[in-house]
Amino acid sequence: MSLAVGTALPPRELEMTPQRLVMYAGATWDWHRLHYDAPYAEASQLPAPIVDGQHFGGLFTAQVFEASPAARVTKMALRFRSMVFAGETVTVTGEVTGVSGDEVTVTQELRVDDRLCATSVTTAVLP
Amino acid sequence: MPKTLLTAEIEALVGRTVAYTAPEPFGAAEFRYFALAVDDPNPIYTDDAAARAAGYDGVTAPPTFITETNQYMSGAMDSHGYGGHGWGIEIPGTRMIRGGHDYEFHQPVKVGDVMTAEWTVVDVSERTSRQGALMVEVISEARYHNQHHELLAVNRERLIFQELS
Repeated sequence: MSLAVGTALPPRELEMTPQRLVMYAGATWDWHRLHYDAPYAEASQLPAPIVDGQHFGGLFTAQVFEASPAARVTKMALRFRSMVFAGETVTVTGEVTGVSGDEVTVTQELRVDDRLCATSVTTAVLP
Repeated sequence: MPKTLLTAEIEALVGRTVAYTAPEPFGAAEFRYFALAVDDPNPIYTDDAAARAAGYDGVTAPPTFITETNQYMSGAMDSHGYGGHGWGIEIPGTRMIRGGHDYEFHQPVKVGDVMTAEWTVVDVSERTSRQGALMVEVISEARYHNQHHELLAVNRERLIFQELS
């Protein structure tokens, strides 16, 4: 798709099932019990296991690649706002907020319903 | 003397460095597993021809993949199941919050890369929140190189230790 300032990237929705949290733990070798052990999470005063914050980085770049599969992501400023719990469905939205030559800046948000959970300012060079 | 969480021991963290080198090169399967976990169907992770058509030297991984340091380690797990990188910082009466990451991606990873993650504590500071609670901020930076000393990525991480009321 063509990316100009103001272009909205197609939103992406993903259910963060316990299986998906385990997939990420396995792929990154991060076995902290907070990410899959429900009784452990409960003992830590959390309603359910929590999604690894860096998982969101992968969801943000996936949205950029959906819009431009051969783009090169060069920078990302990822910020955590609130936790996401196993079983919740996240929605990733993004808008092009800068274009300079073949470089685009995309400002992205990840929410569960109205709750803002993470943001990213992602820079990519288009092919 | 005003109250502070910033002990000499915490301040002495600045400049501390640690490096982890993977015991073997990356294979294509690790790239595919990570892409599946983040629901990224881009064929550059699984199809060599598609990756080459997009300008890569063969299949690669989503950009943030190599910044996950634990995969280069073979550390024993602690009681929390964690066997990864950390500075072992414990500040009594606080809870740790992850602020975020600033990533730079310099070069894509490829099959055969043997990665080293080199972490440094770059800054430790203290401030007071609007609610009047003390907060210690620890900024660390990791640089990820392959066996040819090519810089693939930089990861600047912000940890906050917030005083519990």
